[in-house]
Amino acid sequence: MTDLHTDGNGVAGLLEEILAVEVTTMVRKCQSCGDRQPIAAHRAYRGAGVVLRCPSCGDVAVRIGVHAEAVTVEWRGTYAIAQTGSGSP
Amino acid sequence: MTRRAPVVWRTATVRGVVAESHHARTLVLDVPEWPGHRAGQHVDLRLTAEDGYQAQRSYSIASAPELDALEITVELIDDGEVSPYLVEEVRPGDQFEVRGPIGGHFTWSVPDGGPLLLIGGGSGLVPLMSMLRHRAARRSEVETRLLVSARGAEDALHSDELASLEPSAGLHVAWTFTRTPPPGWTGWARRVDAAMLAELGPGPDAGARSFVCGPTPFVERVAELLVEAGHDPRAIHAERFGPTGG
Amino acid sequence: MPPFSRGFHGRRRADVDPSRLPPGQYLTPDFPVLSAGPTPHTPLDEWSLTIDGAVDAAVSWSWEAFLALPTETFTVDIHCVTKWSKLDTTWTGVSVDTLLKDVETAADYVTAWSDGDYTTNVPLEDLTGGRAWVVHTYDAAPLEPEHGGPARLLVPHLYFWKSAKWLRGLTLTVQDEPGFWESVGYHNYGDPWREQRYWSD
Repeated sequence: MTDLHTDGNGVAGLLEEILAVEVTTMVRKCQSCGDRQPIAAHRAYRGAGVVLRCPSCGDVAVRIGVHAEAVTVEWRGTYAIAQTGSGSP
Repeated sequence: MTRRAPVVWRTATVRGVVAESHHARTLVLDVPEWPGHRAGQHVDLRLTAEDGYQAQRSYSIASAPELDALEITVELIDDGEVSPYLVEEVRPGDQFEVRGPIGGHFTWSVPDGGPLLLIGGGSGLVPLMSMLRHRAARRSEVETRLLVSARGAEDALHSDELASLEPSAGLHVAWTFTRTPPPGWTGWARRVDAAMLAELGPGPDAGARSFVCGPTPFVERVAELLVEAGHDPRAIHAERFGPTGG
Repeated sequence: MPPFSRGFHGRRRADVDPSRLPPGQYLTPDFPVLSAGPTPHTPLDEWSLTIDGAVDAAVSWSWEAFLALPTETFTVDIHCVTKWSKLDTTWTGVSVDTLLKDVETAADYVTAWSDGDYTTNVPLEDLTGGRAWVVHTYDAAPLEPEHGGPARLLVPHLYFWKSAKWLRGLTLTVQDEPGFWESVGYHNYGDPWREQRYWSD
């Protein structure tokens, strides 16, 4: 039975609509294992809200509560966000 | 680099419907003030029923950025909630909402260069088609290898278009069928494995940029095979569609 | 108001007595699988269920001991905060009253915790009085891993995120300690009939 996860690409629309920042290219350094991976490569699980997990160690990277009028986001780890508009059309 | 337009929900109107196969359709959409996109990006699509019930899914953009319409290609998933509506019900004039374009990591533009290694499982071919159509529209000759894994001939979308693109300089298209190969097929008929990737190339020293897309188990297996073959993990871009691929 | 999509209905079922659906819910024909992480696969010979925390003495059962406890088979409706409801689901399991029978505590709250890192918090009184179970059987078959097997908590009067999958323990606490989803804005209590989905409800 395969796990029902996708990846950070799938939650990017939700976060970008709220934060106006492209998240898939952000590189996160994991607070647990120290590995660096783009958000696109993080495993996304959908429960009540959404969880992104480190692809190297499985620890929680981002938790997103999706509420009617707002979104609650908890970010774990350290994020490198490119200065230039990488990914712009 | 220009600032990105805000990502908001916009109303899309169906301009046309193209039957790609018995169970796949391309929807040609008009979206007012669409900001354009990069090949590989997707949209979130939202349907609203008359009583307010909503369902939302993500679909890769199939069209090249150069096209004047936005196209998505949808494969029917049995028991799905959204794909049966998009494949079997939708007709020109219908409306729904799209949010996008979304994505930065899983995108490619001609200036990014190559060589390119594109590997798609099932509907994972869709964003790769956007890349190939963009490449063709720009008359790029960047060395590109496409490997498509499909269950059977019925699932082999865009085979005619790919065959017509292939003579273009630098493009090589390969198929593998995992369940029922077409009659007379002499090519690969098995799941993607290390030997297949080695035969397809390029080798790890070519510095290729890889894009792997499809159902989650497919993507993770192929990405692992590429890493084991020596490809730089940072040059492997993956997009997982979930357990069923849609 | 978003444009509506002609002819779209979704897969929800319409043949339902509306008084059985809490506000904002839709009846689903299947059993959606939602999760905060990968499915754990703890071997049964390594599995245990523990009650600890603010108790006089912790108590623990192995899988065999757990299966030997008195069970009930019962049918309830379940309601997920993501808006799907499933009616008349049948389960077999051990009442939490049975598990707490010999447990002495002055605590008022419980943190249910699972394999992986999932937790959820429930007032003790919502787990007692016949309102909650630890179940191992769904629809007359062993509970599948994707649905929380070998055993999960079942608290049907609250939103289903409170029914922790892959349950390994109930920790009694003096203070209420928000769990995994509660910590990112989901309602601390979660009564579907008062539509308590988020902290602001």
